[in-house]
Amino acid sequence: MDESVEHLRDEILERIGRCASESEVEQFRVDTLGRSGKLTLRLRGLKELPAEDRPKVGEQLNQLRRLAEEQIEQRLVSLKAEARARMLGGEKVDITLPGSRWERGRVHPLTLVMDEIIDIFLGMGFEVARGPDIEDDYHNFEALNMPKDHPARDMQDTFFVSQNRVLRTHTSPVQIRTMERRKPPLQVIAPGSVYRHDDDATHSPMFHQVEGFMVDRHITFADLKGVLTHFLRQVFREDAGVRFRPSFFPFTEPSAEVDIACVICGGKGSTSTQSSCRVCKGSGWLEILGAGMIDPEVFRFVGYDPEKVSGFAFGMGVERIAMLKFGIEDIRMFFQNDLRFLKQFT
Amino acid sequence: MKLTLNWLKEFVVFNGSPQQLAELLTMAGLEVESLAPVRSPEGQDEDWALEVAVTPNRGDCLSVQGLAREVAALKGAKLKAKATASPFAAARAESPVKVDIKSARCCRRYSAAVFDSVQIGASPAWMRFRLETCGIRSINNVVDATNYVMLETGQPLHAFDLDRLGARRIVVRQAAEIGKFVTLDGVERALEPEDLLICDGDVPVALAGIMGGRDSEVHAGTRALLLESAHFEPLTVRRTAKRLGLHSEASHRFERGVDAEGTIHALDRAAALLAQVAGGRPSGRIADRYPRRAKTASILLRRRRAEDILGVELSAAEIEKILKSLGCKVQRRGKGAFQVAPSSARGDLSREADLIEEIARLGGYDKIPPTLPVARLHGGRADARLRGERAMRSYLAGEGLTETIHLPFTSAELNRRFYGLHRDGAAAVAVLNPLVQESAEMRLSLLPGLIEDFKLNLAQRVKGFTGYALGKVFSLSPEAEPQERQQLAALVYGKRERTGLRAEPTPYSFLTAKGLVEGILEQVGLGERVAWTNGAIPAFLHPGQSACLGLDQRTVGYVGEIHPDLSEGLSLPRYGVLELDFEGLVQYPPSQITVRSLPRFPSVERDMSVVVDESFPARRITDWIKGLGHSLIEKVEVFDHYRGANIPAGKKSLAYTISYRAEDRTLTDSEVQALHRELLSQMSGLFDAQLRG
Repeated sequence: MDESVEHLRDEILERIGRCASESEVEQFRVDTLGRSGKLTLRLRGLKELPAEDRPKVGEQLNQLRRLAEEQIEQRLVSLKAEARARMLGGEKVDITLPGSRWERGRVHPLTLVMDEIIDIFLGMGFEVARGPDIEDDYHNFEALNMPKDHPARDMQDTFFVSQNRVLRTHTSPVQIRTMERRKPPLQVIAPGSVYRHDDDATHSPMFHQVEGFMVDRHITFADLKGVLTHFLRQVFREDAGVRFRPSFFPFTEPSAEVDIACVICGGKGSTSTQSSCRVCKGSGWLEILGAGMIDPEVFRFVGYDPEKVSGFAFGMGVERIAMLKFGIEDIRMFFQNDLRFLKQFT
Repeated sequence: MKLTLNWLKEFVVFNGSPQQLAELLTMAGLEVESLAPVRSPEGQDEDWALEVAVTPNRGDCLSVQGLAREVAALKGAKLKAKATASPFAAARAESPVKVDIKSARCCRRYSAAVFDSVQIGASPAWMRFRLETCGIRSINNVVDATNYVMLETGQPLHAFDLDRLGARRIVVRQAAEIGKFVTLDGVERALEPEDLLICDGDVPVALAGIMGGRDSEVHAGTRALLLESAHFEPLTVRRTAKRLGLHSEASHRFERGVDAEGTIHALDRAAALLAQVAGGRPSGRIADRYPRRAKTASILLRRRRAEDILGVELSAAEIEKILKSLGCKVQRRGKGAFQVAPSSARGDLSREADLIEEIARLGGYDKIPPTLPVARLHGGRADARLRGERAMRSYLAGEGLTETIHLPFTSAELNRRFYGLHRDGAAAVAVLNPLVQESAEMRLSLLPGLIEDFKLNLAQRVKGFTGYALGKVFSLSPEAEPQERQQLAALVYGKRERTGLRAEPTPYSFLTAKGLVEGILEQVGLGERVAWTNGAIPAFLHPGQSACLGLDQRTVGYVGEIHPDLSEGLSLPRYGVLELDFEGLVQYPPSQITVRSLPRFPSVERDMSVVVDESFPARRITDWIKGLGHSLIEKVEVFDHYRGANIPAGKKSLAYTISYRAEDRTLTDSEVQALHRELLSQMSGLFDAQLRG
């Protein structure tokens, strides 16, 4: 290579490396490739060289021009990248500052639990039915095999709105109303408010129940156990202990109380801090559901032939399940609607 | 029912621990609610007290002997027989009293025994200890003995002072014309003609099965007794006891059914006890009238039926063993059936279903394996109402509203003020037996509950309160029929909170409340169909800051500020409310969505403003422009509403944006200019408005 070309090449590479801004690059471009730039002048001076040297030096100078152009391009790209990086670095936020958003409202804990219950049964093919809160004596008691003056009526202290009308004491009348209207097969749940003449830390004059029933040919007590065991393990935990023990309801026979292993002590009856678990009172079990095979008398009231169909029914208190799930000790918390309470449910 | 373990063991062999006994009974449907060691005051008796929750169908278990029978059946154990020689067997004489049952319908059996040489005194310690452990106060040896026998056998007894029964003739009859009676607690009771009385001749001496009379009571000087051991009809006793609010150990048992076959056994046991603790000696034989024996049930039980209901296979031997352990007489009928006669003590067993339950119960519910029924592919979908509720809750949460749930009771006073979507003066449903007067009526509106929440939360110094309730309201129709509808109501106060740095909360106004209603209507797909009016604003709302919503000629809601008189009256700041007929709104089928193709040419927006009287509704101009149906006018919206500087008093400025668009070309500037000028000139002719800009 011509010595002077080599010198120019070194100078170009050295200067471009020192350009620290777009304007310096531009100045360099003018000084080198501009109308009177060093390289331009050298190219222009080619014709003054001896003819035999011209092609070689010309080729070298042209290579040098392409190199300069490339270098300028690269330098501009890297300068832009550096500038963007500086800018972004300067825009760094403190990600630990609070986000800005509208405060969201909450859904009531009873609704959360009610929805969970409903969804489990919807998933098993049940449908939803409803009935009036103000119910007549016939649907609330009579057709459920609780004739007037039956001692079982004492189990449910009743609010009356007239001689013959009550605030329903359970959601079971929806069973009757649905069966009156439709023929089996039926797989129905009936969520709703119910009323009892009672008011303390564990009893509210109004609370919520979910009633459910299934009627078809060959529905058995074993099916009742299967469906409710599945349900309880979904609501509580997959390995929850479940037991069925005999009980009495006028509208089912056989009848059962369904218990789950205590959610606090795990069924042991005691905890590391309490010799007798406060929640299950040391029994290890919590009563959670009432259930049974629908009594043939009930089928007769709605005009079904108990020889042809059978079915089970169950009922549960939503507040009770919510209290156990969330560790709530006073049922009245649900109805005071203190935002400090409600905002805990997300 | 309370009892002690030692007492139970007098009748049945049980070698397990008290805890095992409790578990055994609980899992057989006789839930042991408490189990605790007890010791008599003198310390010579160590025992366990059990409290058993006996369901109303199991009157036979309201006694130590009844529970012993149950334990024997469950464990396959033997009952211990007690000496059975009747103290009355030796008596030669007839009873000194006569018994006459006038109402056999109400009294199946009446057995009376007479005792003399009685010495009233305190009971021995062992007896007092057992009674008191079982929750019965010790009175004297005679009364205690009758209670002891009742606890042991389940047969209530009543002791009369024989010397106070002048006629010596027991008459069991309905009260009829006898209007009142003084019970032994000294209270005069008003009688109904159907009440069943025990009379001495013509003089009433006891309310049958419930409580004795003051004037025939055993007292310190009593020397001779008449002991009543009877069977009264459950319904008769229950009606009277319930009406008079008189619940006694005796009535509790009669209501649940006692065994009419057991009256004599109870008198025998009482005679033995009285001889032991009060020196009493039987005088004459027992006077026993038994006009109406219970028909013994004979039930056909089919093995297949039992298997069908329970979902397990059962052997004939197993079925027979269980039923016999319960004291039933069982005869096989062909291959798969049994003819079953339950014992007289088990009056609750009258149908095949009752026997199937006993087979499951004694066999153990845990022996029945859980199965899942074969599901059919139907159902399982949330209905429109449930879907509507869920979507609404999710929308409202997003809008910052918190769900509240209330007891639906309120006072007559609050119902009168906040009548919701009912007409003023609407009749509320009254509760005949409210817990307190403040909750004597069913709510006509969801507002009283929300206002209560508002007060409670204000006391916590909240900056804003935005709550809603989705629940039923109740009223009486003109025909006095109760009606209920599901409604949605919200209360909005203060500022909607924003989290973050220097976040500006938005204060609530009529327009934010209206926006909420618009969002709700959009959510249920009714945005365009609802008409807003301010013609008939309910009295509880601010007359100038409220609106009603109409749909198909019905009022379906209101929104606005609570009348300042009412908020001030309750010492509350001013706040907004809304209440909608949710049930009515979600009943409309969702509108069919048909997508329009997207416009291909741009639209051009032009603004205009008018100065109009303050009373001029902004909507009139948008309605008028829309009403023109001009094919190039796509949209018109109000974007400003202004009063103040540069606007004369009594006037306001309204500003609108109009979008022009053609489907087939880009509109030129001059074309739009011409259209807009034409629109303005038409308007100025029609409305008393002064156009600007």
